[in-house]
Amino acid sequence: MLKKDKKAPGFSVIVIGGGHAGCEAALASARIGFDTALITISRADIARMPCNPAIGGLAKGQLVREVDALGGEMGLCIDEAGIQFRMLNRAKGPAVWSPRAQADKKVYHRRMLKALREEKNLTLIEGEATAVAVRNGKVEGVAIAGGEGIGGKKVILALGTFPNGIMHIGEKQIPGGREGEPPSCLLSDQLAGLGIERRRLKTGTPPRLEKSTLDYSRCQIQPGDDDPVPFSFRTRRLQPDQVPCYITWTNGRTHEIIAANIDRAPLFTGQIKGTGPRYCPSIEDKVVRFRSRERHQLFLEPESRESEEIYVNGLATSLPADVQERILRTIPGLEEARIVRYGYAIEYDFFPPHQIHRSLESRKIEGLYFAGQVNGTSGYEEAAAQGIVAGINACLSIRKEPPIFLDRHQAYIGVLLDDLVTKEIDEPYRMFTSRAEHRLLLRQDNADERLMKYAVRYRLLGKELWEEMICRRRRVERARRRLAAETVPADRCKGILKEILPEKGAQPRLATKLLQIPGVDLEEVESVLKDGPLGLGEREREMLRIRIKYEGYIRRQKKMADKMLRMDKIKIPSDFSFEIEALSAEAREKLQIFKPENLGQASRISGVRASDLSILMIFLERRNKQEQG
Amino acid sequence: MYGDTVVALSTPPGESGIAVVRMSGREAVKILSGMIPDAHTWETHKIHKRKIRGTDGNLIDEVLAVIMRAPDSYTGEDVVEISCHGSMLIITELIEELIARGAVVAGPGEFTKKAYLNGKIDLVQAEAVADLIAAETRLQSLVALEHLGGGLSRKVREVEDKLLEQLSLVEVSIDFSQEDIETWSAAELTEVSREIRKKLRSLIESEVAGKKLRRGIRITLLGPRNAGKSSLYNALLGEERAIVSSIPGTTRDLLRERIHIGGFTFYLEDTAGIAETGCEIENRGISIGREAARIADLVLFVIDGNSGCEAQEERELARMGHREVIVVLNKKDLGLREDESKVSVRLGGVKAVALSAKEGEGLDKLREEIFSRAVMSSAADLSRERIALNARQAASLAEAERTLEKLEREMDKGAEILSLYIREALEACGRVTGRAAAEELLDTIFNRFCIGK
Repeated sequence: MLKKDKKAPGFSVIVIGGGHAGCEAALASARIGFDTALITISRADIARMPCNPAIGGLAKGQLVREVDALGGEMGLCIDEAGIQFRMLNRAKGPAVWSPRAQADKKVYHRRMLKALREEKNLTLIEGEATAVAVRNGKVEGVAIAGGEGIGGKKVILALGTFPNGIMHIGEKQIPGGREGEPPSCLLSDQLAGLGIERRRLKTGTPPRLEKSTLDYSRCQIQPGDDDPVPFSFRTRRLQPDQVPCYITWTNGRTHEIIAANIDRAPLFTGQIKGTGPRYCPSIEDKVVRFRSRERHQLFLEPESRESEEIYVNGLATSLPADVQERILRTIPGLEEARIVRYGYAIEYDFFPPHQIHRSLESRKIEGLYFAGQVNGTSGYEEAAAQGIVAGINACLSIRKEPPIFLDRHQAYIGVLLDDLVTKEIDEPYRMFTSRAEHRLLLRQDNADERLMKYAVRYRLLGKELWEEMICRRRRVERARRRLAAETVPADRCKGILKEILPEKGAQPRLATKLLQIPGVDLEEVESVLKDGPLGLGEREREMLRIRIKYEGYIRRQKKMADKMLRMDKIKIPSDFSFEIEALSAEAREKLQIFKPENLGQASRISGVRASDLSILMIFLERRNKQEQG
Repeated sequence: MYGDTVVALSTPPGESGIAVVRMSGREAVKILSGMIPDAHTWETHKIHKRKIRGTDGNLIDEVLAVIMRAPDSYTGEDVVEISCHGSMLIITELIEELIARGAVVAGPGEFTKKAYLNGKIDLVQAEAVADLIAAETRLQSLVALEHLGGGLSRKVREVEDKLLEQLSLVEVSIDFSQEDIETWSAAELTEVSREIRKKLRSLIESEVAGKKLRRGIRITLLGPRNAGKSSLYNALLGEERAIVSSIPGTTRDLLRERIHIGGFTFYLEDTAGIAETGCEIENRGISIGREAARIADLVLFVIDGNSGCEAQEERELARMGHREVIVVLNKKDLGLREDESKVSVRLGGVKAVALSAKEGEGLDKLREEIFSRAVMSSAADLSRERIALNARQAASLAEAERTLEKLEREMDKGAEILSLYIREALEACGRVTGRAAAEELLDTIFNRFCIGK
């Protein structure tokens, strides 16, 4: 442990863990200007991707854009490391478009390591953190195995799946945090000793195959987009030499083998006790639960240009090695496949997040922050989002400033943080667009408009990008006003609508109304405007299209958001007692567990009803009045 | 919730001469002006007589309306009070109209809560206000529970399940578009939406505008021949409405009249006396009487207290099962064979009241008993909350209906837009069932679809 008098070398912020949460946390803290240490067991595993070789995807892509708008690194890394880019849901409305890219894992790691090394306020330390030093309920530093303690004002825990990690491959159980890496048990046990509750979760990963043993001619090809869109608002141009993925399917024979060996699956024998994610079930789970399905889709995704490893997305499993082998023999294209690494399930400790504030700081120990899988989330993007917030908040706390508070209508990050402190986590938490009630406002295209102001305020980004965004927004708004003021004559409308609305096309319409009709092109309308085209760049035209398409809906969502905000603004003091007779028993119990910071959060806890909120309001008001005297 | 403009019926419900609908909040005057164009120019605390029309242009009622501007009102906010005619139909339409224009149905104790928050009520009363809210909420959930398993609540839950199923299909197409699974279709969604709207409409009409509410609280007199039902009927009415004679079986038809007790409206029904008889007309009368008792809110089972309760009457009582019953021991003036408590114990705890319809003795006791059942008994059909809740329910269901209409009109829009409407409709239904169905979305998706790559 620490020597009592001297704390040298001391840091302002210490981050434990070099995964996606840890890297963003450390970079944010260092960039804001505080001397920061990042402790990792092995430098070679910085920003490693132990599961699928991809960044982004539905709702997750939006998260990456948000992390980027806050000045994070993830977007830049994937723009350089991406080997296949796709904008998902392109056939649907722009509110639900999500960027996704296949990542070259090795390039991604190197790119992130480079960013860490180049950061002047950041020190990388190799070693295993075994304990957090705490005195009088306040964090003071970190103890490292076989070394001296390091002093620190704030400590961010970004431990991933390492706390008491156990990997399962069939009957075999191997202690470990990831494939080939030992777990971290001392730290988790120490935290439990400090009175922090922990529980178990489970997740899994599929086998990796050797590329040269696969027969792609029997699979369906899935290429990247022709016009790849970068993740980062800072990336001007992407020039990837894109690599395709392939799709194949399981079949009845595959399912027979799995069913015949189900008594050897740790998931069903009781060997695994943690709860796994329902949105990412193992293949044995899918076969058992959905017997009637004739086939399951599998994606073959390259892990890196520099390696032969292929990731079989959709085939996560902890079945014994010999069963994994036999399964592959039944799948078209994979009959001859050689397994480089077997699939496994991993169980690990997490610390249920009702124990943290929305700022990610522990309620129990001042200055201790939790970010990423330790909070029960899953996914690189969810981790990165919490990492950057923890990094920013640790710094703000040193400066005695209030934490950054992103609302649910401002960012998916806001939804994520709010859910963590109001929902019970009983499976690894993943973001979905349906979790956001203001989905139309939280688009991937406007993350900069929503969040870049914070990056500028905290000096995580320079002003130039932000100013550019402001100018762009002004130009779009001017164009929108022009369209809202101009009526397109009947004969012009008729021409534009001749195929879309052949009977009712011939009447004069406002240009904006015309554009709201599905199938009408901005270009066509522009060509009939009195004063000629709008003179906008492609990005601006896109913004304009979205704005006009969603006009009324966005207004409605904003109104709803305002209403919610009014509730969020009614703060609940941290020492407020929920021991109120009139509250329903369920509400009283839940409120005491979650200790909401405001009335909005209280309203989102399941079991808290409108009447309970009314009662809370009454008692909050009485307290206010009493305090005013 | 906090800044909302809320609306509720503030007089006791049931058919009455005048009903007062009260609205409080920032938007109160604006909402009223939407229906009465000059309302925003009114002086505070001055009464105006105006016609109120619905969005469709039809006349709802001619009303007296007054604006009490903040802070000189009960709640301390702008308050509007509209006095209209006391028909449930008019009240429901009026409240629905105000909701369509932006008001929100008031929650339990909401006006008092606002008064407290705006400093109109003393600081020390916080507990009392909280208790009031809790008590009204308990009443409502009792009422909702009573609905469960048979009534409105179950039907609305079915609607919610259907909407949730469609929502899960729509959401899957957004969040899991990379999986090869089934998805929604505009044709199916339209069909389901239409079906649901039809269901909602029939619920709104049957539950609210239907007989049950228009008629007020219904009390049926039932019992053997010559027990003095018609005498009691006349005594409660205060007029000679039913023909009274000593000849058994004088009453053959069902009589119905309105009476008022403690400001509440009741419908009192006199029925043919129960007897084993060969007379076809009388038998018909008896079965009409039994049917009336079956659907009544309260049954006054009248027996001749002087001759006492026969086995046949006990059987008749048992037939009524769990219905709200008061046993009336009539002809107290002639002396009672058994007193009230003995009868009550023998009949398994049914409340018994002894009286003399002829002399008028004990009538007040009966009135009190009727009144307390109507007002105090929370779980009973007679509860005032039950009826108030129905106005609330109707407004919420009508909102769901309107939202689905919009959904159908915008079926050419994308999944992300349609989802908004389905969620809104679910939320409106949730105000009736107390269920937050949208929170069940992910569970529904994971149970139904094989998701996960």
